[in-house]
Amino acid sequence: MLEPSLELYGETYDKVDKLLNDLLAKSHARYAMIVDRKGFVLMHTRALWAPKPPSLDSLATLVASNYSANAAIAQLLGENGFKETVQQGDDVGTYLEELGDKALLVTVFDKSAALGRVKLFTKKAVEEIRMVISNSSDEVPDVSFDTNWSNSTGALIDGLFEVKDDEHN
Amino acid sequence: MSTINFSAREINFKIVYYGPGLSGKTTNLKRIYDQVPAESKGEMVSLATEDERTLFFDFLPLDLGKVNGFKTRFHLYTVPGQVFYNSSRKLILRGVDGVVFVADSAPNRLRANAESLRNLRENLKEYNLSLNEIPYVIQINKRDLENALPVEMIRQVLDPSSSVDFYEAIAEQFKGVFEPLRSVSKLVLEKLAQTT
Ligand SMILES: Nc1nc2c(ncn2[C@@H]2O[C@H](COP(=O)(O)OP(=O)(O)OP(=O)(O)O)[C@@H](O)[C@H]2O)c(=O)[nH]1
Ligand SMILES: [Mg+2]
Repeated sequence: MLEPSLELYGETYDKVDKLLNDLLAKSHARYAMIVDRKGFVLMHTRALWAPKPPSLDSLATLVASNYSANAAIAQLLGENGFKETVQQGDDVGTYLEELGDKALLVTVFDKSAALGRVKLFTKKAVEEIRMVISNSSDEVPDVSFDTNWSNSTGALIDGLFEVKDDEHN
Repeated sequence: MSTINFSAREINFKIVYYGPGLSGKTTNLKRIYDQVPAESKGEMVSLATEDERTLFFDFLPLDLGKVNGFKTRFHLYTVPGQVFYNSSRKLILRGVDGVVFVADSAPNRLRANAESLRNLRENLKEYNLSLNEIPYVIQINKRDLENALPVEMIRQVLDPSSSVDFYEAIAEQFKGVFEPLRSVSKLVLEKLAQTT
C-alpha cells in the first residue's frame, strides 16, 4: 500500500513551503525540515544566509530515531511523551515539534536566533501547517506503479552493483 | 509501508537487516556501502558501542534513479542483534517494507538464529505486521567458517516449509551480499505494483 505521510502536494505544498520560509524569516533559524516519523525527509527549507546543511537523510533518520527513543523512555516512565525537545550545543541547536501523529517539524538554529523566538514560531508554524493540511481540497495526484514500473526499477537495482559484480566473479 | 513524497517525486522504502548478535548485519551494510557508486548512496550512519557492536542502528540510503518521473530510494537499516537491545530493535521496525534476516552459520549460534527470528515475529506484531505479508529473505552468513553448519539444517530451523528465498554468504568478502538485497528489493517493488 502507498501512504503519503502528509498530504503535501499541489497548492498545499506551496502554502506549507511558504509557512516554513516565514518560520525561518521570523525566528532567524537556519533550516526547517518536515520529517516523517519513519525518518524520511518530506520537506525542507534553508535560510539564504545559512551554511550548506549536512546530509538531510542522516539528519532526518537521527531526529526521528531520537524522537522515538525519547517517546519510548517517556512511556517506560509512565508518561505520554516528554515536552521539551530542545538540543543545544555551543553554536547550533535543534528544536522539534510533533506535526500530527505521523510527522515532525524540526528547526535548526544558531547563535543568531533566540531560543524563545524559535520555539514560539515553530509552534505557530505547526498550527498553521495543520490548518492548511486539514483544509486542503487538493486531489491526491493520480500515480500508478504497475509491473512495468517495478520491472524498470528492478533493473536499476541490478545496475547498482553491475560493475563490481563482474570484478568478484 | 512505502512512503510517497509527491513534492519531491520520490518513493521511499525501508529495508531492515535483522538477526542475532554478531551474525554480520553491519558487515552487510559496510560492504554495500563500499560497492555502490558514490552517486547512488548517501552517508552511512552507525550508532555503535566502542567495540563496534550496534547500539541503535546502522543506516544507509540508496538512490536508484528515476522511472516514470519518480525517484526510488531504499533506506537500509540494521538492528542491534544483542538480546538486551530489544527496545531499540522494536523502534527500528517502524514502517518496515522488507526484511533481510542474517543468520549465522556457527554451530553454537543455531539457537540464537531461531530465537532472533521468533523475536522478529513478536516485534512485528506490535505494528500489526507479520512475516507473511512483509517481503523477506534469509541470508545464511559466515559460510567460510570451518565448522559451518549445513545450510539445510539452518534452513530447517528457520524456514521448515522452504517458502522463503535464502542465500549463502560470506559477507566479509562481499559474497552473497548483493543477492538478498536485490531479491528483497524486487519483492518490495512487486508488492507495491500489485497493490496500486
Ligand atoms: N568468518 C566470518 N566472519 C564474519 C562474516 N561476516 C561478518 N563477520 C564478522 O563477524 C563479526 C560481527 O559482524 P557485525 O557485522 O558487526 O555483526 P552484527 O550482526 O552487526 O552484530 P550486532 O551489531 O551486535 O548485532 C565481525 O567481526 C565481522 O568481521 C563472514 O562472512 N565470515
Ligand atoms: Mg551491527
